[in-house]
Amino acid sequence: MKLRVEDLVVSFRNPDGELLPVLGPLSFSVSDNEFACVLGPSGCGKSTLIQVLAGLLPPTSGAAYSDGQVITRPLSGAAIMFQDTNLLPWRTVLDNIALPLEVAGISRADRYRRVRKLLPQLNLEDFERAYPAELSGGMAQRVALGRVIVQKPRAWLLDEPFGALDALTRESLRLELLQLRAGARQTLILVTHDINEAVLLADRVIVLSRRPGAVVADIEIALPRPRAADMIYQREFLLLTKEIRSYIDEQRA
Amino acid sequence: MFVIIRRLSVIMFCALLGGLVAGAQDDLADERILLTFIPNIQFAPFYVGIENGYFSDAGYDITLEHLHEPDVLDLVAVGQANYGIVSGEQVILARSRDRDVVYVFEWFQQYPVGIVATGHNGLGLYDIGDLRGRRVGIPGRFGASYTGLTAMLHGAGLAEGDIELVEIGFNAPEAFCLQTVDAAVVYVNNEPLQIINRSLAGQCGDIGIPDVFPASDYADLVSNGLIVSRSHLNDNPGRVALMVGALRDALRFAIDNPAAAYLASLPHVDALPRESELVAALTEAAARQGDFLYAIPGRDEVAAGREALRSRLRQQFDNETLAQMEVLLNSIELWDAEVLGYSDLASWETMRDTLARMDLLGDDLGDLNAAFTNEFVAVDDA
Amino acid sequence: MQSNPDHDNYRSAQKRKLALRRLSPLMTILFLLLLWQWLSDRELVSPILVPPPADVYAAFAAALDDGSLVKHTLVTLGEMLYGLLLGVAIGLVLGYAIAKAPLLEYILSPIIVAFQSTPIVAYAPLLIIWFGTGPTSKIVTTAVIVFFPSLVNAIVGIRSVSPRLRDLMTSLNAGPWRAFRLLELPSALPVILAGLKTSTTLAVIGAVVGEFVSAGSGLGYLVTTARYQFDTPLVIVSVLTMTAIALSLYSLVAYVEWRSLAWQRRSAA
Repeated sequence: MKLRVEDLVVSFRNPDGELLPVLGPLSFSVSDNEFACVLGPSGCGKSTLIQVLAGLLPPTSGAAYSDGQVITRPLSGAAIMFQDTNLLPWRTVLDNIALPLEVAGISRADRYRRVRKLLPQLNLEDFERAYPAELSGGMAQRVALGRVIVQKPRAWLLDEPFGALDALTRESLRLELLQLRAGARQTLILVTHDINEAVLLADRVIVLSRRPGAVVADIEIALPRPRAADMIYQREFLLLTKEIRSYIDEQRA
Repeated sequence: MFVIIRRLSVIMFCALLGGLVAGAQDDLADERILLTFIPNIQFAPFYVGIENGYFSDAGYDITLEHLHEPDVLDLVAVGQANYGIVSGEQVILARSRDRDVVYVFEWFQQYPVGIVATGHNGLGLYDIGDLRGRRVGIPGRFGASYTGLTAMLHGAGLAEGDIELVEIGFNAPEAFCLQTVDAAVVYVNNEPLQIINRSLAGQCGDIGIPDVFPASDYADLVSNGLIVSRSHLNDNPGRVALMVGALRDALRFAIDNPAAAYLASLPHVDALPRESELVAALTEAAARQGDFLYAIPGRDEVAAGREALRSRLRQQFDNETLAQMEVLLNSIELWDAEVLGYSDLASWETMRDTLARMDLLGDDLGDLNAAFTNEFVAVDDA
Repeated sequence: MQSNPDHDNYRSAQKRKLALRRLSPLMTILFLLLLWQWLSDRELVSPILVPPPADVYAAFAAALDDGSLVKHTLVTLGEMLYGLLLGVAIGLVLGYAIAKAPLLEYILSPIIVAFQSTPIVAYAPLLIIWFGTGPTSKIVTTAVIVFFPSLVNAIVGIRSVSPRLRDLMTSLNAGPWRAFRLLELPSALPVILAGLKTSTTLAVIGAVVGEFVSAGSGLGYLVTTARYQFDTPLVIVSVLTMTAIALSLYSLVAYVEWRSLAWQRRSAA
């Protein structure tokens, strides 16, 4: 799925009734099967961008497009992964991952068969009857990831999915994400404020300015795939992160 | 702050002084009389007793309290209160269940319950016997209404199964006017009047003027009166005699001078109509009646005087203004007798037999003569 | 897993504590019964006011024997259950509507607040006049009294559904029915069940108040007639039966709650 935003502006009205710009004007496009990371400081409107792309929030002006069509409501081919896990606390792991299938009206037997096929890849096969509150942060995040994958989406919209995790768990989940995606033809937009994460995962890093977020740099990441954890010590990697940091530092000045 | 304390101390000083003065004024014994229902013109003799000093002359400072009838009986039985007003059948029922109370003064000479029936639409209700198969409303299968109904049915040769008894709570006028019942068991001094007034005001469907059948026409039943506990009676017969005397005199005053009794009730019953014209007319009537009573007229003359008062007032006031005065006048007809307070064994026996027929008596009623005494009822002038 | 003696000691201490906690209400009841018997034996209170336990038991046995207790209990229970069904159903549906359309709250709140803040005893006689002296008026009285907790809890429950979970359902293109069944209902269920527990205890009040005003059967009626026959033991039997009904219904809802909210228990552990 090809995703594009054009002259996108989102403003919120503050309690005094004044319009407060949070995002834009912003234009970029992500081509089919591309993995793009949107990098920016906190409060630059990254999450807002994901909400607009997911069809949950109408833009104030400009528009977002999927395959050339204006996005006005949630797309059936796109799945969103929220900032925290956003699981349903009264549903087991199995039923949480199966939720999108249940909403789509798929029978219980079918749902469970499809989810169970997925559980080994997520390292969750021993936890299908557990409730979210009984899981570690990393496991809960894998359930949320499972809920995205089970939808077989053509576009993944990931809103700082690893932000709440400790450094080690975050690292291993990043690689799991790449493995899970490997081979499938999917467009990914991942929002993050972590430079290493962006460079390690993406084909392209789009750097946003501080609020209201606008594109300050659009950088091709030509590192070979598959990516590995120790790549972050390679020279090319370091040069890229340094370049990106300079754009962000410019912002700060 | 100091101002507040100063003012408080002034107030407390005054209160203390007032208390001393008040304490010096009366050596009256505090006493409660437990009544049923709510403050109402039907309790006029008690208001007369307080306002006109009958109770204080007997050495009592009386407080009136209203409770449910069984509670009145139990509190007197266990000695938490010395005096109460209950109906005769409650005395028998309670005595059959170990409550040793004694009935010392019969206030209502006629049982106040009766049946009100629609006289319209050719229902053909001319007599209690015609109630067969009809819907008859009753507050519930308890209390004086139920007993009165049973006695009346028995007197007319019917049993409860011959009518369709409908429990309607204390809503007889509503149920009757909405025609959810063909007849209703009521207190004859009050509810028929309400129904008639509603009917005249056009708020009671097309029932016309209903017929009233008083229970006393069908059976002589012991009615409402004053009870004391056996222990109080044994320990303080002199005080009981004073109490009965005061109540008798107050009752006689109310019977003789209903206008004055109404005026004495005003401070006690909030809901009494008290338009200035009505109060003026009653004040004038009360004074005139006072003069008339100096001549010591006979009972019949006094009764005729009451009816004359009723028609005079009716010419001057509308039904609504006069409603409670009419309840009083109707009640007096149930109170009045040559000798006030006297109850005879026959009416106790009828009541006992009625209750036995209703299968309500406990295990051990004992001697019916122990249930009441006429010892304190003055018969010397008779 | 290896067994640890300290851990086992701790576990058995915990078990003893739990057993004690479960037994303590029974102990309280037993203590009250003994106190009652003792007061009666010493005749410290008049048997007219507080009949001895033996008399109450005899009245219970007699009322059970002649079937009257069962008959009146079933009448009251029936009124309560129908009233609960009616009041809770209306409360939940209206509560859902209000939670979804706040304007409705402004329109309806004067009526609802008036109903709630007026004591039911005050207008129960009106309900009897309007709905007749049969069971309907008691069902309505019960429905009116249980309606409010259901309404409030439905509003609170639905309004407290996480907006982020709503976003999730929207992103999955869930229609209103699926959003209700999969998100709103399970999310609001703990609050709604808490309201239902309150409602069951109120239901007894509703039915009995109705029966006090006017009735031909039911436990409230049994109290009135027993009182007028000076049968205090039977009054106490009727009152205790009401207590038993209220406790049973409450426990039933508590059990349903315990079963359906297993996730909360496991999440808290």
